[in-house]
Amino acid sequence: MSAPLLSVTGAVKRFGGVQALRGVDFDLKPGEIHALLGENGAGKSTLMNLLSGVYAPDEGTIQIDGKPVRFNNPREAQAAGIATIFQELDLVPTLDVAANLFLGRELMRPGGFLDVPAMRSEARKRLEAIELAIDPASMVANLSIGQRQVVAIVKALSYASRVLIMDEPTAALTVGEVERLFDIMRKLAASGVGIVYISHRLEEVPQIADRVTVMRDGRVAGVTEPHAPQAELVRLLVGRPLDELYPERAREAGKTLLSLRNASFRLAHESAGWQPPTGISLDVKAGEIVGLAGIMGAGRTELLSALYGTGLTGRWEGDVAVDGRPVKLDSIKAARDAGIAFVTDDRRGSGLMLRMAVGLNLVMSVIRRISPFGLMSARRQADAVKQSFGQFDIRPKNPDIAVGALSGGNQQKVVLAKEILGNPRLLLLDEPTRGVDVGAKGEIYTRLRQLAAQGLGILVASSEMPELIGLCDRIVVLRQGRNVAEFIGGVDEHTVLDAANGREA
Amino acid sequence: MSEQKISAASGPVAAAPVHRDPLALVVRFQSLIGLVVVAIGGIIFSPRRHGEILFLNPDNIANIVRAVSETGIIAIGMTFVIITAGIDLSVGAVLGLSSVVTASMMISGGFGLIPTILAVLVMGIVFGVIQGTISSRFRLEPFIVTLAGLQAARGLALVVSGNQYINISYGDGPGLAPPVFAVLGERLFDNTVPVATIVFIVFAAIATIVLNTTRFGRYVFAVGGNERAARISGVPVSMVKISVYAITGFAAALAGIVHAGQFNFGSANDGMGYELTAIAAVVIGGTSLFGGAGSMVGTVAGTIMLGALANILQLNNITPAMQLLATAAIIVLAAVLQSLVRRREGLGR
Repeated sequence: MSAPLLSVTGAVKRFGGVQALRGVDFDLKPGEIHALLGENGAGKSTLMNLLSGVYAPDEGTIQIDGKPVRFNNPREAQAAGIATIFQELDLVPTLDVAANLFLGRELMRPGGFLDVPAMRSEARKRLEAIELAIDPASMVANLSIGQRQVVAIVKALSYASRVLIMDEPTAALTVGEVERLFDIMRKLAASGVGIVYISHRLEEVPQIADRVTVMRDGRVAGVTEPHAPQAELVRLLVGRPLDELYPERAREAGKTLLSLRNASFRLAHESAGWQPPTGISLDVKAGEIVGLAGIMGAGRTELLSALYGTGLTGRWEGDVAVDGRPVKLDSIKAARDAGIAFVTDDRRGSGLMLRMAVGLNLVMSVIRRISPFGLMSARRQADAVKQSFGQFDIRPKNPDIAVGALSGGNQQKVVLAKEILGNPRLLLLDEPTRGVDVGAKGEIYTRLRQLAAQGLGILVASSEMPELIGLCDRIVVLRQGRNVAEFIGGVDEHTVLDAANGREA
Repeated sequence: MSEQKISAASGPVAAAPVHRDPLALVVRFQSLIGLVVVAIGGIIFSPRRHGEILFLNPDNIANIVRAVSETGIIAIGMTFVIITAGIDLSVGAVLGLSSVVTASMMISGGFGLIPTILAVLVMGIVFGVIQGTISSRFRLEPFIVTLAGLQAARGLALVVSGNQYINISYGDGPGLAPPVFAVLGERLFDNTVPVATIVFIVFAAIATIVLNTTRFGRYVFAVGGNERAARISGVPVSMVKISVYAITGFAAALAGIVHAGQFNFGSANDGMGYELTAIAAVVIGGTSLFGGAGSMVGTVAGTIMLGALANILQLNNITPAMQLLATAAIIVLAAVLQSLVRRREGLGR
């Protein structure tokens, strides 16, 4: 019976008014691959950040080999043998691959000079060890997202002595890359390294994990063995059977709002990691919720942002029609004039003015309407805000507090309500429930369905397969910017995943 | 300047896709290209006397490289700061303060040359460390901290000088500076190369080595490229930030000493606007104000290019007003080129 290598007891972490962790117990044995599952917002990332020294817990203890430890920064966690694979954004884009791999632990020549050739050749060795052909001298900014993820993995592997924490490392990888990664993980585990594997791809769990911990709403919902039935895992994940979370589907769809026929988005300049829509044909009808599925990098976000004119510079080719009329859709103004609204996947970065009041954020899309002669009308503003609060259960029910103080779910409701105020006919949603707790998710789904019933067409991109399957009337699968398959909502998750990964069903 | 030499000298920058995008290639060497263009323009448009091209007259060339040496020294320091995505507005004022302290230590204080120089350089470093520490400790924008530093340095300079020029007279004895100090205003090697220029070039060479071949230099790029990634990788981010302001403080102090030696006085109001000229030279040199990318060779070329441009305009009796407009156009052109490349490389705006 091996003692835990790493254990967390009663961990509590608050961010402002939001309680991200509400008393979490977690442990990891040497040589164990421990899967940590949870919906977005369940607290996985916060727990990971505690273990890797990014945050300190407000309450509770972390122990290594039974001794309490307290990490004040990531370096201290690393010194204790805990390595973390953060997402690709934790590389320095303006440095080359070798420089990133050795950042903070550079190889030196006598006299205090960097040994660039040694670092390049060592980097090449490490990349080749997992059979990856990336030039160590290429700048990270020029790599695809998937390649950056791999570089981040190799970087963490190079100093993981005892514990390796991996946050959704497979999200951007191809099937072959995932297999290689799993091989490496098994080898590491066999050598005694404990691995925390965070994912929300349920189908990977039995392949790789020895044990599964499921988190929900900042708590541990259950610990189970990896071969537990998927239905059991889903129940733990969402706290109720899957079908209760999603509202009933529409009975019939109306006329076609958006129609793409062999439509491609020609970029003014090629851009690595930005997959332009290529020969896409799809329809969104009034009253319909259409999902966009696909692996990371398949071009979901790119399709939405190109339709809304917020992507890279370029122009549409092929047939793009709204309401049966050909449109150009080459700018935000063109999209809005056509009755299209867009909710970004990055509400904090590009959806909200975090320091401004909820009310001011809500009316941002209808400023023109509420300011006759350019003067903001307090009455019209109050009416608009009232309408939003009537539609969405935004809490606290106070339009005057800064929107940044709200929980993720309530912020997301504000972003949605803001766009709904503009009375769009077609709503483009990118990851509408990212970082949103389960309760708010259910409410958002219900509202979206009601809006669709009133004649709104909705095109929603999501990386959460259960969401697409549960919410959408139809699911269009994208791969390399093309629509490669289409399914009716409620389809089996594996079928969609196979299509997304390019495997024959 | 051979291609090979550049790639051997500069790890991070050499990794840029030099061969992939012709525009990126232009930007990478924009200041060198600009320097060549200005030099050719200088030769074509230079006034001639008895068939001699005045622009190429050795005295004129010496004049150009002497005139840019002080802002050049400052721009070298500024390059470090800007690569970390910071800015230092205090450098011109610190130059003024340093010239005043140099003069008054030697003339009124009776200190020797070496103690004076060391004290002034340490003062510059301390000034930078204080600014860097305040900015880092209280998470303040370097813009605001060094704006305050600018006022503080000017204020201190006025206090020390009593708002008077402090003239430096040479000789032995109290109240006189050692004659060797005057060498900063002279030329060496058969009266060809100005000593101030030698200081500039030596400082630039050391800075190039530090930036491109040492761990510290690598950390400077990392902090500017992605601060969070640097922190997570164990880079001592605060130390790096404080250090780059220490470097600009040192550079400004060095420039102040050179200033005092060249003009034989200390003046609290000198160096006004040098910070902006230095920033312009750095940007023209291809260093990104977004941080994470930059080149010391570019800064040197950018500095000399601005000096050569001013010189050719002066030779043709073009008004200072037109000189300012020409400089403005070049800064905008350099920035636009960089922005185009950034967009192509998917680094955002």
